[in-house]
Amino acid sequence: MATEAAPMDEKAKRMRDLLSSFYTPDPSISTPTSSISTSFDNINGPSFDADQYMDLMIKKSNLDVLLQRHVQMAAEIKNLDTDLQMLVYENYNKFISATDTIKRMKSNIFGMEGNMDQLLHKIMSVQSRSDGVNTSLFEKREHIEKLHRTRNLLRKVQQFIYDLPARLQKCIKSEAYGDAVRFYTGAMPILKVYGDTSFKDCRRASEEAIETIIKNLQTKLFSDSESIQARAEAAVLLKQLDVPVDSLKDKLLEKLEQSLDGLQINPDEASKLAEHNVSSKDEESNNQGPAKIHEDAVRGFSEAMRAYREIFPDSEERLFKLARALTTTHFENMELYIRKRVSAADFLGIFREYSAFPPADVLLLSNSLRIIWEDVVLMDEVLPEAALSDLSAEAAQVTLKQFVARTFSHLQQDISDTLLKFDINQKEVVDGEVLKVVLEASGKAEFRQLLDENTGIFVKMNDLLIGWIQKGFQDFFSEKIHAGLILVLAQLSVVIEQKVIPRIAEEITASFSGGNSQAFIPGELCRVFHAASEKLLQHYIDTRTQKISNVLRKRFKTPNWVKHKEPREVHMYVDMLLQQLEEVGKEVKQILPQGTFRKHKRSDSNGSNTTTSSRSTTLHSDKMARSNSQRARSQLFETHLAKLFKQKVEIFTKVEFTQESVVTTTVKLCLKSLQEYVRLQTFNRSGFQQIQLDIQFLKAPLKETVEDEAAIDFLLDEVIVAASERCLDVTPLEPPILDKLIQAKLAKSKEHNNNNNKTTVSS
Amino acid sequence: MQGGSSGIGYGLKYQARCISDVKADTDHTSFLTGTLSLKEENEVHLLRLSSGGSELVCEGLFSHPNEIWDLASCPFDQRIFSTVFSTGESFGAAIWQIPEPYGQSNSSTLDCVASLDAHVGKINCVLWCPSGKSDKLISMDEQNLVLWSLDSSKKSAEVVSKESAGMRHSLSGGAWNPHDVNSVAATSESSIQFWDLRTMKNVNSIERAHVRNVDYNTKREHILVTADDESGIHIWDLRKAKAPVQELPGHTHWTWAVRCNPEYEELILSVGTDSAVNLWFASASSEKQASERSAEASRQRVNPLLNSYTDYEDSVYGLAWSSREPWFFASLSYDGRVLN
Repeated sequence: MATEAAPMDEKAKRMRDLLSSFYTPDPSISTPTSSISTSFDNINGPSFDADQYMDLMIKKSNLDVLLQRHVQMAAEIKNLDTDLQMLVYENYNKFISATDTIKRMKSNIFGMEGNMDQLLHKIMSVQSRSDGVNTSLFEKREHIEKLHRTRNLLRKVQQFIYDLPARLQKCIKSEAYGDAVRFYTGAMPILKVYGDTSFKDCRRASEEAIETIIKNLQTKLFSDSESIQARAEAAVLLKQLDVPVDSLKDKLLEKLEQSLDGLQINPDEASKLAEHNVSSKDEESNNQGPAKIHEDAVRGFSEAMRAYREIFPDSEERLFKLARALTTTHFENMELYIRKRVSAADFLGIFREYSAFPPADVLLLSNSLRIIWEDVVLMDEVLPEAALSDLSAEAAQVTLKQFVARTFSHLQQDISDTLLKFDINQKEVVDGEVLKVVLEASGKAEFRQLLDENTGIFVKMNDLLIGWIQKGFQDFFSEKIHAGLILVLAQLSVVIEQKVIPRIAEEITASFSGGNSQAFIPGELCRVFHAASEKLLQHYIDTRTQKISNVLRKRFKTPNWVKHKEPREVHMYVDMLLQQLEEVGKEVKQILPQGTFRKHKRSDSNGSNTTTSSRSTTLHSDKMARSNSQRARSQLFETHLAKLFKQKVEIFTKVEFTQESVVTTTVKLCLKSLQEYVRLQTFNRSGFQQIQLDIQFLKAPLKETVEDEAAIDFLLDEVIVAASERCLDVTPLEPPILDKLIQAKLAKSKEHNNNNNKTTVSS
Repeated sequence: MQGGSSGIGYGLKYQARCISDVKADTDHTSFLTGTLSLKEENEVHLLRLSSGGSELVCEGLFSHPNEIWDLASCPFDQRIFSTVFSTGESFGAAIWQIPEPYGQSNSSTLDCVASLDAHVGKINCVLWCPSGKSDKLISMDEQNLVLWSLDSSKKSAEVVSKESAGMRHSLSGGAWNPHDVNSVAATSESSIQFWDLRTMKNVNSIERAHVRNVDYNTKREHILVTADDESGIHIWDLRKAKAPVQELPGHTHWTWAVRCNPEYEELILSVGTDSAVNLWFASASSEKQASERSAEASRQRVNPLLNSYTDYEDSVYGLAWSSREPWFFASLSYDGRVLN
């Protein structure tokens, strides 16, 4: 440092040192070497020792030097002081001015925030203003651009319009009406608005051209020779040209309606024709002739319809109406026709002929149904939205319902007529036959015919039909016209179950190989019909047994059995019982099929019958007498014992659909009732004998009719046992007396029969 | 008979038609039954179900002078019961008391408490008032309905009132309404008649021919069950007497008797001359049925017949539920077999 400081002014150097020492708090670090190298006499060194220096001074120098040194030092000190003072002042001044500045800054900062905000606002507003100016200017610019474009366009349009008449003429010449119309409609608005101005001439010329075009188009539209497409195009073009199309439409519709009228007359004629020829054999061909005509007509109609639809696609509703009207009129015709048919049959009133009708009827019905269905399909193609199929399905359902209803009411009427006209025997026969014919007709023919149609609609209808027929049965059922009728119905449902339903199923599977016949479940229907038939049969037996039971009740309730007189003959109730059973047998025989096995053959010849029966009677009476005398002696205990050894006979078995089963069940139930009635009474000896006699008499004819001999034997024995149990004094009649009385009764009944025969012969 | 298990049998010596539950016996499940024999000496059997429920024990055997057509146990005194009997030509009705310590001697005689001798024709049945303590009785013959007041201490019965139903309706049986002490249902040839005992007038009737038996549902008011010859079992709501609420097919021959279970309102038991005892499940509530009919009906159609007991070999005439243990019933067939 010393080497560096040498050239420098000593004073300045010291100053700097002082200042540096002032500003550097730790000078030992900055000047370590200097402090070592400098000698003690360096007053500015940090290691300066004042006492040492003084000693050194005093020792070295004289007074003058000392004084000089003193003065010099004092001056130096003074200088340093002033320098220091100066420095302090200066710093102080600076400090004060700094504090002042800070103070001022503080005060200034207080207002700063508001000012900043203001500034921001101002900047913002400036920005928005500049934006607004921008946009307003932009619009104008855009507008200017648009105007420019429009001007260009207008120039083009002007060119086009000026050219228009010439172009139209060209089009007329080349028959390109479509282009012409397009050009014209393009130019239309301009012509309309500015027609009075400079385009006047152009407008007139082009209008003239368009008029000729319209004329040409109209002629084209009405000329039948043109193709439908061309006509349709013409119509479309006309419509585009704002020519009143409605009048055209009306005209066309009128045409259509006319053709429709023609169509409607056709089925009428067809049905009339068919009606006239219904009895003759060639009705089929007759029927088919009109059907063909009809079909052609319908085809034409649907063609026209299609064309019309293409021409006027927006007026479908009217078409729908038309189509609907057509179908409804169809069905109305059908209904009318059915009514006519049925009433015609009514007037004829003879069952045989009537019974020949239904098949024909059904044939016609299904034929017309098929025709209508085809029509509907055709029209449906054209107008899928018209829901014609639904409509016709509904209508067909209604018609079929009506048909079935009519057949049923007719059937009923027939039956009541027969009831009035014929005596019982014939009635039964006719009943059965009519029913069977109608059944076959309405069942098989109808179902099959309908199913031949191979259309989905009939599947739906089948269910309906079946349901309806069932309802018809139930109506019958509730009326309880005749017990025999119930039986017939039972058989009917069996037939339906066994024959008709499989047939329908077959037909359905044949016609729908795709297997979409879920709507028709033969098993379910079979079950329904089976249940119905069983119920009906049960009901039949119930009604029958009730009747007989009433006879028995009267028999057992009225007399005082305790004071009964000696039996002289077989009681009347036995006759009644047998008569009832005979009636049942007759009904059953006519209607139900025979069982697979039969023990007895029923012979109508009276002679042989009596011999066998009398033989068997004596045989049985022997047995009876033995057992009875035994019983008379035996105690109740013994009968119990006997019962134990006897095989328990199943009395109540399931009824089957055979003559024998039904009759047997009826007889069994009657005998059981008889037993119960006997058990409720108390008899004296004669009363018991009377019962014995009656039962003995019953035995032979009952066995003849009934298949289960063992059960009948058992039940008859039971009656006797019951009577003996309830008898105060059991003494059975001697077998010879029994036999004699029975023979007497038989003779009497034979005589009665003979008398009857005689009276019938004589009458 | 419990559930589907086979029944407990008991054989009577003679034929019998009637069995009755001894309601007043609260300690045991007991039944009274009487025989119907024209020529032998008739008996009344007091049967008791042994504690294990496995055996039917004869607790008492009492001789009865005539054949018993109907038998009813007194609802408040287990020793008293009534019978309708016939001597072959004429009918009589009496109230009997089983002699004190019963069951000791094998064949003791019954004490006749009172004889109900106001009848002339064929007596059909004797009904005890179901309310329990009341000592009213009704006896029915074919034309008359007689209300009795019984004084068992004095051993006498007095006619309180008597009313003729008229010659045309021959009454055949009846049931006392358990919900209304003044109402009795009687079956006649062509209808079910309802009698008001205060006025002794016929107040209502259901037209129904040949009803054999009638029973009130003890749990549910207004519900009546009838059995008839032809069409099985009908359940009626008395408020809507035009048509039955429900029909059950009944039996293959006549349905002779029908009884509602005293505890479970849906259970109905019927016996018939086809030697079967049928247990039916009938949800006979008319109010509920209206709403539940569809669901209920399908279920019912599946199986209204819960069980058919065909252990008998002869027609079954007698039927009684046990009132103490409602899952037991007793039925009686003509050949004298009792099954529980």
